[in-house]
Amino acid sequence: MRIDPARLSASEQLRRSARQRRARKLVGHAIIYAVMIALACVFMLPIFWMASTSLKLPRELMAWPPEWIPSNPQWGNYAEAFGKYPLARYMLNSAFLVAANIVGALLSVPVIAYGFARFNFPFKNVLFILMLSMMMVPGHIKLIPLYVLYLRLGLIDTYWPLILPAYFGSPFFIFLMTQFMRTIPRELDDAARIDGAGPWGILYRIIIPLCRPALTVVVVFTFLWTWNDFLEPIIFLRDYDSFPISVGLAFFQGRYSIEWHLFMGATLVSIIPILVVYFFAQRHLIGGLAAIGIKG
Amino acid sequence: MNNVFFKKALTLASLLVLLLCGIGGAAAQDTVTLTWWTTSGRDSPEPAIRNVIAAFEAEHPNIKVDVSIMAEGAYNDLMSTAIAAGEGVPDLAWYWSNNWLPQALDITDRLDNDPDISRDIFHTEYFNNWVVWNDMVIALPYDIGANFVMYNKDVFDDEGVPYPTQDWTPEDYIEIAKALRNEDKRRWGGDRPRGPFRALWRNMGATNPYSDDSTTVEGYINGPESVAAYTWLWDLVNSGATPTPADLEVLGTEGTGPVDLFIAGRLGMATLNPGSMVSTLEAGVNFGVVPEPRVPGNENWVHGWALRAGIWKDSEHPDEAWEFLKFWNGPPGQRILMEQGLGHFPPIPSLLAEYEHADTEWYQGFLTVLDATQTASWRKDHPCWRGAVIRGVRDAWDLIMLGEIERDEVQATLDAMVEPGQAALDECVPRLGG
Repeated sequence: MRIDPARLSASEQLRRSARQRRARKLVGHAIIYAVMIALACVFMLPIFWMASTSLKLPRELMAWPPEWIPSNPQWGNYAEAFGKYPLARYMLNSAFLVAANIVGALLSVPVIAYGFARFNFPFKNVLFILMLSMMMVPGHIKLIPLYVLYLRLGLIDTYWPLILPAYFGSPFFIFLMTQFMRTIPRELDDAARIDGAGPWGILYRIIIPLCRPALTVVVVFTFLWTWNDFLEPIIFLRDYDSFPISVGLAFFQGRYSIEWHLFMGATLVSIIPILVVYFFAQRHLIGGLAAIGIKG
Repeated sequence: MNNVFFKKALTLASLLVLLLCGIGGAAAQDTVTLTWWTTSGRDSPEPAIRNVIAAFEAEHPNIKVDVSIMAEGAYNDLMSTAIAAGEGVPDLAWYWSNNWLPQALDITDRLDNDPDISRDIFHTEYFNNWVVWNDMVIALPYDIGANFVMYNKDVFDDEGVPYPTQDWTPEDYIEIAKALRNEDKRRWGGDRPRGPFRALWRNMGATNPYSDDSTTVEGYINGPESVAAYTWLWDLVNSGATPTPADLEVLGTEGTGPVDLFIAGRLGMATLNPGSMVSTLEAGVNFGVVPEPRVPGNENWVHGWALRAGIWKDSEHPDEAWEFLKFWNGPPGQRILMEQGLGHFPPIPSLLAEYEHADTEWYQGFLTVLDATQTASWRKDHPCWRGAVIRGVRDAWDLIMLGEIERDEVQATLDAMVEPGQAALDECVPRLGG
């Protein structure tokens, strides 16, 4: 059997073309990966520098040429940092505040958003706009009235001022969740109602399971904001052992100097929980952000 | 009979109960709890604070001190919030912001009539300049500080440059800085002054930004002494021996001077403070301390300060608060803090002499600096100093720092500052006084 040279040539050309496409694709991917790795290195640089600094002696901090990897790493800096201030306790305090705030947000935000998204009641739009307007008020303006309020309620030097607001809903999260719930077809509510579900049943069996991306955003942002919150804990807490880690880190900045090597070590340890949460939640978080339509 | 006995027993029991209640109530009333906000740092580590309180409570069993120890960076926000709210201010607190001074209790009579303490035990300059306000004593001085030049002896030895002396001049400073400059080691000879309001102006030019009677800036801001001071600054900036403002923005420690660069040996000399001495000491760097340089024949001035611990004017326990204040700021408390916090420098000269490193050369240099006249002594009587200087002269300062003007333009630049400086002074004096 003879093969037509012209057809052979055409199939060879096709193979060559396919090989070239694969090669081009490979090169394209290689370039993309190289750029992404380079960008990742740039973004990792501050964390690497933080780790490097945490292992140096004070006289090595600003030495020239800079030592990226300390020749004589001072692992004892970590023990010194954690021995100097009760940082482990502060991290536990932060973890408690985070947990309490997340529970509060998860209990309050879906319920309030459900009301705005699914029910009609007098002054609904006015209330919604009023709530949104609260987002425009800078937090600092509310600080003094809140201080007086909690002082008169006898809640200063307790965790209540840092926890209670979460149980009344954050305007930002309520807005997000309301918008998200409005995208869920009402036909699902109707179907559930035909099956005998009441408003609470619809919320907990239909709406909330479908709101998982938005709830992930609520959880992750509540975690980050609570973990990093500095201003409110310093205003409402007094007891040395009750501070969260965000305030504990500030102890390394003294009146005349900053103990950079200890500060960097403590900061590095303090961001580990954030990195862990982000690592496990990033897929849901990115999906949630895309679904809600907000950008970082 | 039984009835009478029962009545007597009942009466006796009632009396007993009342008596016991009275004793309990009296005991509860006798114990006063004071609230006290403080910060923790090198000057006062947390254990030292608690030790002072324990020592006080041992001496005063009826007074308890409920201390809140907070981070340095947290204190201002908290205190400002409490004062703005008008409630929740502690019995005792730091009053380091001038804006808080009206909230502090006048303790003049208590201080002058208390046999346990006297204003004479405190460093006169620090006492008069920092805790006397509107002729009232509104606090007691605490940890004192000052700016001075620290020099790294290893760097000097490395470059073969003799150490600076107590009577060195501005020209010496520039020449030494140039001699210490080493490109290969990325080392600068010295830093630049960080503001026109510090002692440098006085030391370099022996002048003030405006007249003593607070009426005119003409001939002061742009007078020959001022021009000389700013020309010196121009020479320093253009010597290439100092880090630029951008360098310091990146490499300096915020607000406290470039102590980390100094410790790393990349700055031969730096204008620093007592806290820097302790950092440098702990880092094992061989250093010395001299006053800022001054024109020969000029009086030696220093930019110094003291923290102020005071009693809130609305405190419900001013008497007990005074007992604690005089213990904390007096010799008993200050000794504990100095011995347990290496970075604490009491405002009490007799205690300063007992400092752990009192026999070192650098510490003796520091004590010399403390005896110089403080810029605050003029500034205190001239509250428009900062307003007039910053508004009127800051532009000239910045232009020189950024290398935007030539040497022969210094006079004209300062002349141009007269009008805005005078306007600032005229606006300020009716408001704050002369």
